[in-house]
Amino acid sequence: MSFLNVIRRRLMFLILVLFGVTVITFTISNLIPGDPARMIAGDRATPEIVQNIREDLGLDKPLPVQYLRYLEGVVQGDFGNSIRTRRPVLEDLRIFFPATLELALTALFFATALGIPLGVASAVWKDKPIDHFVRVIAVTGISTPAFWLGLLVILLFYGNLGWLPSGGRIDPSLEMPTRVTGFLMIDSLLAGDFQAFGSALKHILLPAFTLGFVHLGVVARQVRAAMLEELQQDYIRTAKANGLSRFKVVFTEALPNAMIPSITVLGLALGDLLYGAVLTETVFAWPGMGAYVVNSIQALDFPAVMGFTVVVSLAYVLINLAVDLIYMAVDPRIREVS
Amino acid sequence: MKNSHWFQVVGAAAVTVGMAVNAPLAMADGDADLLVVAKASDPQTLDPAQTMDNNDWTVTYPLYQRLVAYDVSEDGKGLTSVVGELASDWSASDDGTVWTFDLASGNAFSDGAAVDAAAVEYSFNRLMALGRGPSEAFPGGMKVEATGDMQVTFTLEQPFAPFLYTLANNGAGIVNPAVEGKGDDHGTEWLSANSAGSGAYMLTGWERGQSLVLEPNPNYGGATPEIEKIRVDIIAEAAARRLKLEAGDVHIAESLPVDQLDALGSTDGVEVQNYPSLKVTYLYLNNKVAPLDNVDVRRAISAAVDYQGIIDGILDGNGVQMHGPIPEGMWGQNKNATQYSYDLASAKKALDVAGGASEEISFLYSDRDPLWEPIAIATQAYLSQLGLNVKLEKLANATMRERFDTGEFGIATGNWSPDFADPYMFTNYWFDSKRHGLAGNRSWYSNDKVDGLLQQAVVSSDTAERTALYGELQEIVTDEAAYVYLFQKDYRIAVRDDVEGFVFNPMLEDIFNFGGMSLSD
Repeated sequence: MSFLNVIRRRLMFLILVLFGVTVITFTISNLIPGDPARMIAGDRATPEIVQNIREDLGLDKPLPVQYLRYLEGVVQGDFGNSIRTRRPVLEDLRIFFPATLELALTALFFATALGIPLGVASAVWKDKPIDHFVRVIAVTGISTPAFWLGLLVILLFYGNLGWLPSGGRIDPSLEMPTRVTGFLMIDSLLAGDFQAFGSALKHILLPAFTLGFVHLGVVARQVRAAMLEELQQDYIRTAKANGLSRFKVVFTEALPNAMIPSITVLGLALGDLLYGAVLTETVFAWPGMGAYVVNSIQALDFPAVMGFTVVVSLAYVLINLAVDLIYMAVDPRIREVS
Repeated sequence: MKNSHWFQVVGAAAVTVGMAVNAPLAMADGDADLLVVAKASDPQTLDPAQTMDNNDWTVTYPLYQRLVAYDVSEDGKGLTSVVGELASDWSASDDGTVWTFDLASGNAFSDGAAVDAAAVEYSFNRLMALGRGPSEAFPGGMKVEATGDMQVTFTLEQPFAPFLYTLANNGAGIVNPAVEGKGDDHGTEWLSANSAGSGAYMLTGWERGQSLVLEPNPNYGGATPEIEKIRVDIIAEAAARRLKLEAGDVHIAESLPVDQLDALGSTDGVEVQNYPSLKVTYLYLNNKVAPLDNVDVRRAISAAVDYQGIIDGILDGNGVQMHGPIPEGMWGQNKNATQYSYDLASAKKALDVAGGASEEISFLYSDRDPLWEPIAIATQAYLSQLGLNVKLEKLANATMRERFDTGEFGIATGNWSPDFADPYMFTNYWFDSKRHGLAGNRSWYSNDKVDGLLQQAVVSSDTAERTALYGELQEIVTDEAAYVYLFQKDYRIAVRDDVEGFVFNPMLEDIFNFGGMSLSD
């Protein structure tokens, strides 16, 4: 029951958040000096052509009217047409958002799969070489610009070794698998196309590593700190006194408890990865939302920017909701408070 | 049993991944049927009646044919003169208001429908009805009518001298009238992502943000293209484009910065090609605001800029100084017009005549072109030698354009390239007092005599007369230093050495004659 209550409350909150996001984004977008109609018409267009476009797009209407029209469309699932691509924004997002999400989730998987073991090892062998090594990884990850690391790995793995492709989602000479989820690796497996799967996997390795590297250090350091705290607790001492092996003490007693605060970090990391993918996408020619939204901002393509903002906000709120629910599932104390 | 099950799953996954990942990387080099072009950004729309961007034209231009096309010289150079493409012949009335075109037979759209007069009429009526940017190149009130199955007549409200040349523009592409059935928007949404032309190629695939694929139009009326597939890969990062070119994964890499091009010059298998271009870079001097409303201040500024220093230092020598508004390579240029050169003494003298200038001068630029910032910084330094107080303002490009339109600036940088091959592009746009602001006259220059010359030149069908009129105009506007005419930058492109038949046309930057190109084995 408490789970349902939390979900219900948070979904109501979600509507308020999305409403606020649309109001703020719409207002800011329209405060920026610049005329989208002029961007479409081109520099040399006569005032008549510009006015014609303005009327077609409804930009000649007062701002509140424009906003209400937009909101009316959004409620009906219509985010309007992109000023730049002339296609429905939702259609554009349907293409670009899964690509970004696939990259972000793979990067998160990479950061988690390596970060947690490194964090545990770092706590168990505190102040030993492995701990120093993880510290170096963490500092390097946080202080290395993604575009620089991206270029470096492209140079090494594509330019010098020729092992991995330099960019894109899949070898362009291959047939794209039928779109089901929008996640290329999953869609290719569903289609039974292992060649496409292999190509998609190869293409995602470098960008996911680059994007996940920053968070790898953060996850490792967070797990280390939490593990150190847990390893000092009385129940650990009791477990040891009862003769539990070191492996069991660390992995079955301390780690599950240490993971609770790490869930927040992972949730935040996924949010970061979603909008932090912009630079990585640029370097690796990854056809995600990054390039789409940057080009849209430059072209004053407000419907596209609004659509992007709404989708990312929605994702953020849902990720936070998921984090809260996972908290409740793994920690009975939080469940009781909720 | 449980463990064994997991081992099986993990083992199968490992084998799948191993087999899949072991597939070889695709290489373009060596495949004579596939040409790969690397571009920095995805096209916005592929509708010729909508797009105003050369980046889109790389794809759209070879998909469509026009009534006329730019000619090629006997030694294989792209010319600014035009020859018939869909038109076999044409004539104009004595007053230049009625143009009649006879269409060649044998041209067809990719669906097999013939290109006839009705298709031409439809395409131009659609272009003008949509009223987007590309329609601006054509005179308002233009009427287009199919006067026979294979004859079309354009009637203009008044003579428009460059008319013939506007027909080679991307916006003049002839569209299959069948698009009218694709939605209730004249096929706009459909055409933004599909092709309906009679060009040498047709669009067969577009993975957004990743690549576009063109394949030969099976019904093309011209010679069958040699290359069976053109792939345009979207690679935003310049260093990645360069690496792929070096590795032979792409054949042509566009928009590489000067340092990358210089480095590629010594790479095996890659040629960096340089072509004189008609794209110019210049400074707008706002003639309406003090102190730039004083002609002697403008002359002083024009003489204080080290043109060759900018070309050598910022362009690495890959450009030439402009000689007035009409660039080298476009007919009508007057070599007798004033060409300013770096001369601090005469600059100071001119400033003395003006009585000095104490006002702060704003200098606008954006990061749209990476050259603009060094130009702004250099100009600030040059003008400080005159004691002029220049304040640099780096703005978002959209904001800067807005300021051009409202005239709220002192100096600003800009680029200009012609839409059609006529001096009109560099004169009527730049100096006509009816085009103040973003529309073209970005220096907010006004001169009744110049307006009169422009009007005479646009209605005259006599090229010698027009040359004389534009010649007189150039002497006036250079003397009055309406703009600072900086340079014509060379068009530089990196190409694999197995690419043959590329003809650069200065009117078609970023556009390739795919139909005439081939790859050596």
